Amino acid sequence: MFLPSGSQDRIGEKLNHQAKVNSIFRKVVQQRNYHAIETPVVEYAQTFTNRHVGMEFNKLLKWFDRDGEIEVLRADWTTAIARALMTQNPSQSKWFYQGSVFQNDEKGIERQQAGIELIRTDLLLGEMETLFTAVDVLKALSIDQYMIELGHTGIFDYMIKPLGLNEDEEESLRVAMDDKQEDVVFQLAVEKGHPSIANHLVKLIHAYGGKEILVEYREHWKDSEELVEIIDHLEQLVTSLEQLGVQDVIVDLGSVRKLRYYSGTMFSGYLKKNGDVCFSGGRYDRLYAQFNKEISAVGLAFYVDVLTAIMEDEPAKRQVCLLACPKTHVKAEKMRMNFPDAQVDILYQRPKEHHYDQIIHVQDEVES
Amino acid sequence: MKPVIALTKGRLEKQFLDFFSSLGYEIKPLVEKGRKLRVETDQFEFIFAKGVDVTTYVQYGIADLGVVGGDILAEYQPDIYDLFPLPFGHCRMAVAKEKDKKWPTQKKTIASKYTKITKAFFKANGESVDIIKLEGSVELAPILGLADGIVDIVETGTTLKENGLIIDEEFLTFSARLIANRSSLKIKREELGVIIESLKQKEAF
Repeated sequence: MFLPSGSQDRIGEKLNHQAKVNSIFRKVVQQRNYHAIETPVVEYAQTFTNRHVGMEFNKLLKWFDRDGEIEVLRADWTTAIARALMTQNPSQSKWFYQGSVFQNDEKGIERQQAGIELIRTDLLLGEMETLFTAVDVLKALSIDQYMIELGHTGIFDYMIKPLGLNEDEEESLRVAMDDKQEDVVFQLAVEKGHPSIANHLVKLIHAYGGKEILVEYREHWKDSEELVEIIDHLEQLVTSLEQLGVQDVIVDLGSVRKLRYYSGTMFSGYLKKNGDVCFSGGRYDRLYAQFNKEISAVGLAFYVDVLTAIMEDEPAKRQVCLLACPKTHVKAEKMRMNFPDAQVDILYQRPKEHHYDQIIHVQDEVES
Repeated sequence: MKPVIALTKGRLEKQFLDFFSSLGYEIKPLVEKGRKLRVETDQFEFIFAKGVDVTTYVQYGIADLGVVGGDILAEYQPDIYDLFPLPFGHCRMAVAKEKDKKWPTQKKTIASKYTKITKAFFKANGESVDIIKLEGSVELAPILGLADGIVDIVETGTTLKENGLIIDEEFLTFSARLIANRSSLKIKREELGVIIESLKQKEAF
């Protein structure tokens, strides 16, 4: 039997790694006073495709229910949790989740995530707590070769304001910025009669790197209070992460939001070993506007499959075989406690070929 | 580790090497590579692949940078940074049909290697068409009666002309482009910055 692209059986050591990632994540976030939440796997498509969220309808896994409504598999945790939290006690602000999201794209269908959501929290407190939790989780997983990248949706939004773009034009420009397509960005802005903004946007495409980028752009944007405020905010986050011991923190001032609900700081974590993105998230106060609520919200999701892939095998345990018979089986079972660090099998017959470090006959307890 | 650059084999390869050499880079091992698909120079490691595979190697981070035709990027839309055009590999995307033949009054059949581009073009024009995917020598399709017309890239137009086809409409222009893996560009920003800048010096947009 054949599996669909991206679907996989998880077996043996890989499954142990995944369980390890999930249990370490759970332990860390519970110590930080996050509460567990799980939304159902099946929801209405509308939850994910409405204009506040804007996920691509054709990528959702969907079907009709008996009433003709379109139902989908959970496509995004953050959106589903926002819906669920509207009925929860507002005094609890820190939440965590673990489970799969489903989207049909070239990377496959199912992806495992473990993430956190903070709502109704002071802006800086929420962002620092989110990033520090990420650092805490990575440390607990013994991952130290990583890089954190920060960006801010406000920069692109501010720069394009004078262009007076309609929705489609803005989306085209956003996609071109996201792909760092210099020529296309330049052309789109020039077509709107703003060559100077075009040049600024092209420059912005290259505004990624260490703290020196923030210094350069604070000077460059000194006449714009709004942009300087964003730079100061990013610098505070970068400095705090560095003080916490994160070695590689960069900013990308040209980054744009990938989902419509992002509104402010955005962050991603890269594994240096293979370049994979191991977490991403940001601020999305806008998401709660669909419930006519002004609620601050920030969070991030770890990509469990990515973390699982780089976990190293545990050192092999000593393998012990207890050779028993029906009469001595109970005695053998009680003997297990003598080997707390070993993997113990009980057999009735000595195997012809074996991988045991030690075989013990339970009848006479003489080692072979 | 040296930056890894994936190059499109064939037509673009030669043009890239001329361009690369004009920037003062060493290309001798690349010219003398024979049938090898992996070649190291003093500064870089090169891999040679078909255009669409270049995008795959870059997307999955096997290569940090890639040189590929804009037509391939438009058709396959890989998840990469599509940095800027390079000053070679210019071509146009066009609809072509047999010289003395009129379009049928009913739904047209179009043969193309570029099914996504074809679909997007006719959809934007509000016209429904049936698309037949071919892998090459697309010009044969109208002559042999497989399709009413074709969508294909045109460089000089000679192939079309020699096969009795004429351009009905041109709708996109392309050139070779420099692409980058999304993570490499950030993680290896210092190593890649120099080569990216030097490739950009000569481009114009």
